Amino acid sequence: MAHVEHAASAPAILQEVKPAVLPRAVLVGHGRSFSWITDKICGIIEGKTPAWWWWCFIVACFVASFTVAGLVYLVATGVGVWGHANPVNWAWDIVNFVFWIGIGHAGTLISAILCLLRQKWRTSINRAAEAMTIFAVVCAAIFPVFHVGRIWYAWYLFPIPNSNIIWQNFRSPLEWDVFAVSTYGTVSVLFWYVGLLPDLAVLRDRFYAAGNKFRSFLYGLFALGWRGSNRHWSNYEMAYIILAGISTPLVLSVHTIVSFDFAVSLLPGWHTTIFPPYFVAGAIFSGFGMVLTLMLPLRAVYGLEDLITQYHIDCMCKITLATGTIVGYAYSMEFFIAWYGANPYEGFAFINRAFGHYAWAYWIMITCNVITPQFFWFKSVRNNTALVWVLSIFVNVGMWFERFVIIVTSLARDFLPSSWGYYSPSIVEIFTFFGTFGVFSVLFLLFIRFLPVMPMAELKAVTPQADVHGGHDHH
Amino acid sequence: MSAQAANAPAALATESATASTATKALLVGAAGLGLTAVGALLGPDKHGVVMSYLVGITYWTAIAIGMLLLILIHHIVDASWSAVIRRQWEHATQAFTWLFVLFLPLLILAWVKPGFIWPWMNEATPLHGGHGTVGTDVLYQKKSGFLNLGMFTGMTLGFFAIWIGLSHLLKKASVAQDSDGDTKWTFTNRKLAAIGLPLTALSLTFAAIYWVKSLEYHWFSTMYGVWFFANCVRGALSISVLIMLWLWTRGDYKGILNTNHLHSIGQLVFAFTVFWAYVTFSQYFLIWNANVPEETFWYNLREVNHDGHTNQWWYVGLVILFGHFFVPFLYLLSYRHKVIHSKVKPIVLWILAIILVDVCYNILPALKDGHGDSLPFFSLNLLWVATSVAGIGGVCAWAYLRSFPTTKLIPIRDPRIVESLTHHE
Amino acid sequence: MSTAATTTTNLATMAAQTHGLIATFETPRDLYHAAEQVRDAGYRNWDCITPFPVHGLDKAMGLRRSIVPRISLAGGITGFITGMTMIWWTGQVDYPLTVGGKPLFSPMFAFPVSYELTILFTAFATIGGMLIVNGLPKHYDPVLKYEHIRRGMDDTFFIVIEARDPRFHAANTKALLEKAGGKAITELEA
Repeated sequence: MAHVEHAASAPAILQEVKPAVLPRAVLVGHGRSFSWITDKICGIIEGKTPAWWWWCFIVACFVASFTVAGLVYLVATGVGVWGHANPVNWAWDIVNFVFWIGIGHAGTLISAILCLLRQKWRTSINRAAEAMTIFAVVCAAIFPVFHVGRIWYAWYLFPIPNSNIIWQNFRSPLEWDVFAVSTYGTVSVLFWYVGLLPDLAVLRDRFYAAGNKFRSFLYGLFALGWRGSNRHWSNYEMAYIILAGISTPLVLSVHTIVSFDFAVSLLPGWHTTIFPPYFVAGAIFSGFGMVLTLMLPLRAVYGLEDLITQYHIDCMCKITLATGTIVGYAYSMEFFIAWYGANPYEGFAFINRAFGHYAWAYWIMITCNVITPQFFWFKSVRNNTALVWVLSIFVNVGMWFERFVIIVTSLARDFLPSSWGYYSPSIVEIFTFFGTFGVFSVLFLLFIRFLPVMPMAELKAVTPQADVHGGHDHH
Repeated sequence: MSAQAANAPAALATESATASTATKALLVGAAGLGLTAVGALLGPDKHGVVMSYLVGITYWTAIAIGMLLLILIHHIVDASWSAVIRRQWEHATQAFTWLFVLFLPLLILAWVKPGFIWPWMNEATPLHGGHGTVGTDVLYQKKSGFLNLGMFTGMTLGFFAIWIGLSHLLKKASVAQDSDGDTKWTFTNRKLAAIGLPLTALSLTFAAIYWVKSLEYHWFSTMYGVWFFANCVRGALSISVLIMLWLWTRGDYKGILNTNHLHSIGQLVFAFTVFWAYVTFSQYFLIWNANVPEETFWYNLREVNHDGHTNQWWYVGLVILFGHFFVPFLYLLSYRHKVIHSKVKPIVLWILAIILVDVCYNILPALKDGHGDSLPFFSLNLLWVATSVAGIGGVCAWAYLRSFPTTKLIPIRDPRIVESLTHHE
Repeated sequence: MSTAATTTTNLATMAAQTHGLIATFETPRDLYHAAEQVRDAGYRNWDCITPFPVHGLDKAMGLRRSIVPRISLAGGITGFITGMTMIWWTGQVDYPLTVGGKPLFSPMFAFPVSYELTILFTAFATIGGMLIVNGLPKHYDPVLKYEHIRRGMDDTFFIVIEARDPRFHAANTKALLEKAGGKAITELEA
């Protein structure tokens, strides 16, 4: 039994300390050794490419081709090929943009916020979640960039001196978005890369030992000569925690600025002060949904049950439950204040959402986002991996509909009843969006094939044998 | 390791010291409340005194709610390092009963003299600028299903029922574990936390709407509950630091508390500094940018008079911006400022003071002169704010100190207590 | 281990060309306690090689708190000033243009972009600072010549004491490492 060593002057109460026994969940199952972890994770990369990988890759490429086709057609023809028309001038493009950006946020959250909160269970899932962030940002960026129409002028978004002499409008939330999303993409890549650094060195050495000089050279190039020196680890860990520290306000700010796209306007249903934290909670919610959707199959096919344990799934389910409930709080606050504010236009916007032409979308959103996560209260549900996976899909669907409801219902019933309309997407839009799942999958499949899906160094550090204190207090 | 009787004489000495401190706190409380009562009965501006009292009760209730939230969060995330401080939160939340008793005068006043504090309670209250009365105000009529005396009373009783109930149940299970060491108490509290968190979140939101926001009942902001939440937790964390330092100086926490506990709680103070700024900035910024009169008037009251001159509240707003965010933010970036006792103490005192200013900023501008301008910040009301805060604070401190000697200093049989005692980075 | 045995016999004569001594440890705990002893013996130019950051080892090695945070802070301040200055200069000085009735410059609307640039510059400064302080990228390191060093990326722990340390003395240093529990103590070529 654990006990405490005390200095001679320790207070009497410490003699009475006798904790009830409630062991913490183990983070690495079956007491696996350091080298087991290395072999397991590197083995995924070093082994022969499995047949299922090829099948998935081919299907993913096929799906991705829909995005490529949709975008080529758009560039060749014009933005009119999308279904936007007065009064709904923003629709699927921004819905999909916010959807994908939101998905990315769980990656940063797991890496950064859980790192700051010292939630050690993050180590099994953070690498894949960070990869998910980057690929989600790639998918997200497609939509605004192509929505500018003549994409060869997309660089006008950045404050680069141009022949028209005028500058960007920094009063516009869309310009803030440019900075937010590009910073987010850049910092996510850097954070991911810094995390990968020691693991790339492991791969470099293993491929060298196996005689594969070419791959050893490639991994070595990016490993920057990492040797596991503790003098390096000391600065490395400091840099890592700072990156976690700045990524936390970054991830909050990105979705805050995304919410500003709507909230700084005067449109009923968009202009409400709770939007920033509400969007952030929604983003984390959808991101965890996506992490579960991706990690549960990955765990099954690669036999990673000792690294992604039931405890990890429990934690993710509970965060999904918590953020889903926060989102529910925001929905009810919006509705309540729409009534309390006594502004008839605001009130109409919300009644219209729930009972108007788009009521079907609204109730899909409520069902998926508020009701679905409530199942995670039950341990039996959390223990049923297949059911968790299905529920996580509902979360993804629900969060897509949330953005659709916010954006389209408010625009379709604007201030001038004579211009009211009903928006339906064009086939080009549907293809483009459908294809982004392929783009995402292609990138994710490449990631799990060529890079370590879990941070080996961090996993080793949370094993019991890594603890030099062994329950004794040295401070 | 077997349980041994504590050093009896030393324990007795500490107990009597606590008792005498408790008596002192109660005396301060009585004096503060007495002075406030004198002001309310005999002072020139009774309205100002009552509003100042509302500031005091809101301030201390916010801090108590923050403590309750900290206990709930501790249980729900199965936290370890905070186990050594949790018992102090459990004592401090016993103040809810007395906060309820101290809220009763406001509730009674609301029934005896409706519209005196919250203008919407009386339909005959005239609106500023000669726009009729509350009863003829279409905005009030639309809200009257929510803004009425019966709902207000029922909801307020409900809030206190939730807070008092939760804090008693949480403490009961925690203390019970001290004697039998059964893990079932940990699960009891974990379940309580799961139910308690949504309840507390909703009750604090509606308390903020009823008690504070409805003073200006035309105004609305969906962020308001989140703003109040941020102040609750920040205040509670700051008081926790003070309690930790006090118990350390007194000797109780020697050998129990280490630098890392202070570092961890300091990081939380820092995090909530950023969160508060985020929420407050977002609310202001969205209203500033959209520039819709039905929202901006709330901030305009706090910036300019009807003749366009900047009023004192504008400067108070700036003090809040810098004092509530920039000063603690920059100060707490440093590791040393979080862990050295003499360095962390001034900043938590400063934060507690500036939260009070923030509460004043939200409540006191509802006091208006004949032009509909807010009465200035520097006025006799500050005295009544001071007496109310001292009075209610004294009672809260007394409630805490009264509860303090009744249990062990730390939850000795908590499953995470050793992790907490050996807390390292 | 034959190579280790031969090199050990030649230690005294080869000390001039040696990079230092390397000792192997099986567990993080052994390494931790050995590091405390090397630190207390007053060595400066020495290092531990570990597959993961061993908790508390910085203290056991007597390392000071990293200076990376200061570099990050400088980056952050630069970023914030860059943002504010850019928006003020482009909007108010170079090409004033009223849009939406908003002022030409206000810290309010300049805040989101300046905030993002603060974070971006902090990230660059942090990573750049970490690499520079660590002397990375590094093409070659003498420890690479040690045949078992690759296990230091997997599950084995090493202490390297460099010959350029003023306290380095082939025999005494070796004795210290042996006393600390180091196995397979080997001399490294420069």
